[in-house]
Amino acid sequence: MAFVKNTPPTSARLATQNTSDGLPILLEKLHHSLAETRRWAARDLLAYSSSTGALIERLKIEPDRSVREIILTSLTRLGGTVAVKGLVECLRSEDACMRNEAIAAMKALPVEVSPIMDSLLIDEDADVRIMAVNILESLMHPDVEKWLIHVIELDLVINVCGTAVDLLGEVGTKDCLTALLSLKKRFSEEPYIQFATDLAIKRISKG
Amino acid sequence: MKHILIVDDAATVRMYHRSILESAGYLVDEAINGVEALEKALNKSYDLYLVDVNMPILDGYSFVRELRGHADIPQAPAMMISTEAKMSDQIKAYQVGANLYIIKPTRPDILLNHVRLLLGESSI
Amino acid sequence: MTKPIITDDDFLKFQEYFYRKTGIQFEYSKRYFVDKRLVERITTTATDNFRNYFAMLRFQASGAELQALVNSMTINETYFFREEYQFRCLVNSILPEITARRNSSDPIRIWVIPSSSGEEPYSIAMCLLERWIGIHKWDVEIISSDIDTKILAQAAAGLYSDRSVKHVPKPYLQKYFQNTPRGFQLNDDLRNAVEFTRINLMDAAEVRPYRNFDVIFCRNLLIYFDDISRKQAVETFYDALRPGGFICLGHSESMSRISSLYKIRKFPEAIVYQKPGDGL
Repeated sequence: MAFVKNTPPTSARLATQNTSDGLPILLEKLHHSLAETRRWAARDLLAYSSSTGALIERLKIEPDRSVREIILTSLTRLGGTVAVKGLVECLRSEDACMRNEAIAAMKALPVEVSPIMDSLLIDEDADVRIMAVNILESLMHPDVEKWLIHVIELDLVINVCGTAVDLLGEVGTKDCLTALLSLKKRFSEEPYIQFATDLAIKRISKG
Repeated sequence: MKHILIVDDAATVRMYHRSILESAGYLVDEAINGVEALEKALNKSYDLYLVDVNMPILDGYSFVRELRGHADIPQAPAMMISTEAKMSDQIKAYQVGANLYIIKPTRPDILLNHVRLLLGESSI
Repeated sequence: MTKPIITDDDFLKFQEYFYRKTGIQFEYSKRYFVDKRLVERITTTATDNFRNYFAMLRFQASGAELQALVNSMTINETYFFREEYQFRCLVNSILPEITARRNSSDPIRIWVIPSSSGEEPYSIAMCLLERWIGIHKWDVEIISSDIDTKILAQAAAGLYSDRSVKHVPKPYLQKYFQNTPRGFQLNDDLRNAVEFTRINLMDAAEVRPYRNFDVIFCRNLLIYFDDISRKQAVETFYDALRPGGFICLGHSESMSRISSLYKIRKFPEAIVYQKPGDGL
């Protein structure tokens, strides 16, 4: 046959994407039975900064990964405290997928996340504290090293400290050497902590 | 020689597990998340997967679920390793088809015991 | 100011970080290549030493330096039949699968983005004509897009240098090009096989009409985007594809740094990514 040009979209199965859908219609479409319609609604809601609340509420119940991912992209682009508050709630989800998606989104929202980092790092749930340290990995903030030092000095849970040590190996300065040595002593029976702190100390000392 | 794939987003943890496994004579590859692990598993036959739970892009449970359902990847035991100790996490691990669920941080002797058991290398 | 030194530990830090962000692993044997470029970036950014540079790189909100670094670490050359194994995959594996399950005579639609100066979409057109038996039975539409209108004009004009056609098999060179004093001129038939369009992939309104593609080639573009833009781009491609449609990334690129939405398909020639479809 041949090379052709300018053929119109041929699938009749597509739900129509009306580019002039207003906010109320888009919010309705966010709950449509077809995932494709929900995806387009989540994309188009990017034009409405007031939609973050609705996007978060849908995120929590959305079963389709493709829709969740687009909701998260829109939330990340929109930002704001409502979005981040909702993402923090997702950190506590029973669903590992949801938790990790929330971490990734929060990593991309340094402005909103920085003010709440202090409280996340002392959350009563050790898993939330681990996730907070994870988020620090890409946070632009002058206090990152200070936060990490606090964690390894004060946190009682070994895995929270372990996560902090990993990051200190990458971003730590000579300021954290004392704290690292104390941690080594505190968990002297733990092979992983010995390994990780030795590595971090080596890297910091040579830098 | 047996081939083990370590799936974990933390470089230090991968290094730690690698050093333990290599000193016991295993060949080790690494993947930083579930998608990379699937890509590697499509290119090479592994005898065992060591899988972290919390990873970006594709978490450990989702990876094991995909692994178990994948027609083109030869099946092998999967050991999940997590910081989380809830019973619901353990149950979930077995539901998606993992063979074992252990808590971090691991100790070399215990890890190697589990590995040998899953690879059928124990003397029992 | 003394020239910055990159220590072994600096290299390891860079290596781990770069691998995490891009999936590209620089082995120790690439020290000379890497060190030279790191020193260049340290000097350009006036950060004085690796530690300061690395801190800036990691925490810069805009991600501009990471992109500049990626640019300098990756070889950015386009020519005909670059990464040809993917075209073989298209002809031998992807298209047979698509046409086997196709229950209409709608054209096969292929989107190549970025078009750059056109070598890639034209290479695909040539491969389809010369190597795909299905070309006699199926209509094919090739759309190729770029954000840069100058390069699009260059692509449409179809005039190429020796360097560009270096890997074109001799018979194709004779059949599809005219060797003129100004360079190798692609003939009209082949130039007309591709439709060039201007598009900003990040603009939701502009990408909206791009739908129903069977295959998307997006090679060596996403690597230059920041994390959120890369994610947005592959999500855009998701709805630009038909269910069961395929996407090919560059040989050193992987969905593992971007998204888990796509099914990973290993064909003899290549690993490609597929949108889940009805019955898949």
